[in-house]
Amino acid sequence: MMPTQSQLRLRTVLFWLLPVVLLAVPLLVNPYIQFIINSILIYALITLGFNFVIGNLGQLAFANTAFFGIGAYASAIGATSLGLPWLATIPLAGIAGAIGGFLASGAALRGIRFYYLAIITLAFGELMRWLYVHAKSVTGGTDGLSLPRETFLGYSLTDDRVKFYIFLVITVLLFKATLNLLRSQVGRSIMAVRENEVATASLGIPTSRIIVIGFMWSGFVVGCAGSLFALHTSYVFPESFGMLHLIVSFAMVLVGGLGSVLGAVLGAAALTVLPEYLRSFPGMEELFFGLIVIAVLLVLPQGLASLLRRVSPIFIERYYRE
Amino acid sequence: MFLQLSISGLSQGAIYALVALSLTVVYRSTTIVNFGHGDFVMAGAFVSYVLTVMLGIAFLPAALLSVIALFLLGLCFSRGLIRPIRGGPHIGFALMCIAVGFVMRGIARIVWGREVLPMPSVFDMPPIFIGNLIITGDAVFIIGTTAVLLVIFFAVLALTDIGKMVQAVYQSQRGAQLIGINVDRFNDITWGVGAALGAVGGILIAPVSLLHPDIGASFLLKGFAAMTLGGFGSLHGAVIGALMLGVAEQYAGAYINSALIDITAYLVIVIVLLVRPHGLFGRKAVVKV
Amino acid sequence: MKQTLTLLTGLLLIAMPATAEETTGLTEDMIKIGVMAPFSGNAASYSKAEIGLMAYYDKINDEGGVNGRKLVAVQEDTACDPAKGLAAAKKLIFQDEVFMLHGNSCSGVALAIRPVIEEAGLPWVIAHAASDSISDPLAANIFHGLPTGSANGRAMAQFVLSRPDTKRVAIIEHSNDWAHSYSDPARAYLKEQGIEPVADQTMERGQTDATAQILTLREAKPDFIIAALYEAETAIFLRDLKKYGMSDIPVMGTAGTDLENTLIRVGDLETVKNYFVIHSYIDSLNGDKLKPWGDMITKYYPDEQLSTFSFASLGSAVAVVEALKNAGRDLTRSGFIAEMEKIDNLDTGILSDPMTFTHDDHQGVKGSAVAGFVDGEPTVLRAWGERY
Repeated sequence: MMPTQSQLRLRTVLFWLLPVVLLAVPLLVNPYIQFIINSILIYALITLGFNFVIGNLGQLAFANTAFFGIGAYASAIGATSLGLPWLATIPLAGIAGAIGGFLASGAALRGIRFYYLAIITLAFGELMRWLYVHAKSVTGGTDGLSLPRETFLGYSLTDDRVKFYIFLVITVLLFKATLNLLRSQVGRSIMAVRENEVATASLGIPTSRIIVIGFMWSGFVVGCAGSLFALHTSYVFPESFGMLHLIVSFAMVLVGGLGSVLGAVLGAAALTVLPEYLRSFPGMEELFFGLIVIAVLLVLPQGLASLLRRVSPIFIERYYRE
Repeated sequence: MFLQLSISGLSQGAIYALVALSLTVVYRSTTIVNFGHGDFVMAGAFVSYVLTVMLGIAFLPAALLSVIALFLLGLCFSRGLIRPIRGGPHIGFALMCIAVGFVMRGIARIVWGREVLPMPSVFDMPPIFIGNLIITGDAVFIIGTTAVLLVIFFAVLALTDIGKMVQAVYQSQRGAQLIGINVDRFNDITWGVGAALGAVGGILIAPVSLLHPDIGASFLLKGFAAMTLGGFGSLHGAVIGALMLGVAEQYAGAYINSALIDITAYLVIVIVLLVRPHGLFGRKAVVKV
Repeated sequence: MKQTLTLLTGLLLIAMPATAEETTGLTEDMIKIGVMAPFSGNAASYSKAEIGLMAYYDKINDEGGVNGRKLVAVQEDTACDPAKGLAAAKKLIFQDEVFMLHGNSCSGVALAIRPVIEEAGLPWVIAHAASDSISDPLAANIFHGLPTGSANGRAMAQFVLSRPDTKRVAIIEHSNDWAHSYSDPARAYLKEQGIEPVADQTMERGQTDATAQILTLREAKPDFIIAALYEAETAIFLRDLKKYGMSDIPVMGTAGTDLENTLIRVGDLETVKNYFVIHSYIDSLNGDKLKPWGDMITKYYPDEQLSTFSFASLGSAVAVVEALKNAGRDLTRSGFIAEMEKIDNLDTGILSDPMTFTHDDHQGVKGSAVAGFVDGEPTVLRAWGERY
């Protein structure tokens, strides 16, 4: 069941209205809540990027954390060693992430699929982490890199509210760009590759090139998220880019809804807010986290987005497999 | 020094072999890679710790009980959590495995929280000296037990009726069903066997390594590396790959740089998959379109 | 018009950043203190330090509190992760609105949250994290209540060189910032004395075998080995040393391990008899002078197993309470900070070296003792062969 024309128009309006409404948020919350909201924005981008590869492109690749780390370090190195203003490091980080995506797609192009791809990309992520630790002169090693304090148009970039506005703009832009990409010819080819690679190739579509584009876009989005993260914590440090991060991103994709763009936001929000509520039970987090993921898998395999779809057809997208 | 490193490498490799074999056993029949397997290994070690240290049961019966407990755990996991999600996306399995691993780790952490636990040493056997070579009681025990287990395992597989049945399912699920094998029940049991084998690995390494809830993660990656090197899906490949990995880590660490020990497994994965994806003994894994 | 103005002013006031109010977190009968620690995660054993300091608060409360106020610890978990630590710090400062912060075991987290705390201005006394960069360069509101990494690293190297005829020193460590915070100052001290390490080995957390490293070390024939390793890996390293017949070589550990627990882990005295650790206390863990402290922790946290970590923050806790008391009933944040800076040669009753803060130096403890086995008993030492 697809949304009607008027529902589609309403959806576009809502898409642009939401950020405008969110502009008021910093006036209403304390810096702690603001910090959490900023985290949600970053994770929404990470989930969007990860979802692009595993949900839309259908390749089981776990390189997401690698892209994230590459972007964060690119941004931090840009701001420290190269002395660039942080804003300028965002595209730098995106490009670095895209290069990472290109490298990761290399494995896919050689015909490596499914679990092999998952494992080689996992290994890639861990190798990157080893690199962050051992390439001390560039990455600061285990001491990490600390971002210099900057201002932008007179506003201090260490203020969580200022960060929020910048993050919001970038998040909206990247979401919109991803949606546009998915709706385009390229996007449809990407999803066609997911459905049946051989059939797609037989239509004359260069599937290898499509796969590379898919990985590079994911790398770009997640790389940008990395640069936001660098400012968010103003401190980049190898431990943040390990297996735990990968598992959390993976869970966000599945809890939100595999392949769903809306799901990226829902999954990120749910799994960022939840650990904060569980603060009073230290150590119980892992347990709760595991139980919730199990519950979602058993009861709601299409994620939270599928719940919303039952409420109203406005939320139906065409980017996931039913 | 070379021989000494080889002995240590074999001892490490033996544990990896158990982990890799248990992963492969499950993969072959269900095509699921248990991304939470490291935590099953940890669970095996913890259960035997509880039995030996807290309930005072002797090592051997405790180990046996732990293996049985993990077998049942694997079985229930398959029955209760894997079967229901069979209709969903394949990567849902991966996440279910990870989630269960998390739950087990969470439970271990709640119960043992801040402590890092010592396991009593199994053998107080003095080391064997052969010339310059030192072989500790632990190494003998680990290599010995693993060797015996592997012999039994492969013997059962090749020579008994049950083993033939297992081979049948591995070769063709549909075919096996056609001749009356209850594949569902088979898969449950496979999960149990996988968990049990993993538990043995955990029990063997616990006295050497000291227990804390996170020991599972590194074994998982080593298991993958071993499977990759040996050829994904190949049982004897998993064992051989594991032994080679164990030894390679030691050589790299001693002859090149000790910082490399940690990433040898990852390098193996990347190099093998790029150069010869089906590893040493695996079937063709490359999909060319 | 008037309504609009009121609304706007109201919005503006809400929008203003929370300024460091002098008496935030204080009520008539309560002082709220934010205690951050890795209560969960793979560094959870470090949070024993914060358990220790909270036990001290309980003791003080039972004795009537500080100038009529009880000390209330608001715990937040950092899981040793900077992002989580940042959330914890912001929650304590902006949502729970505590009077001050006292805690932190993980240096990585502490470094990440330092800018936030510096800007917020509330006092922060570091209870366990050792990295020098947390308190240096100086921040008006940040105090280091225990020996820092450089103090410990130097104490380690000093002890090593206090052994006669020690020229060949080898180092084995984890490749993380915790280990470097000890090994880098140790190397610097050795260099000052004209000594370069004869071997530099890495052993990662989680490795269950040190054969490769030990065989390489054997070739280097060290007189003393400095080992910056966590508890589990230390035990494995010592066991492997014995295995290869090298346990006559003395090994210098950090403040991250203790002799008693290491002995339990390796199971026999022969393996650990030449192992030394940084021990910043006036007596061994089972000694008479530390017993009252141990009993105190057990009284309020009966399930807690004591290790060297449990006592690590008690010195800072004594200082904190001292400064709170001296600041009087009219307690303010700047009053507390001023009193902290007046602490001079304070004998905390637990730390091996006295604590001193000045206006220009907030690193309170400059030295540390060492512990080693003497006749099978853990003993506190000042230098090789010299009791404390």
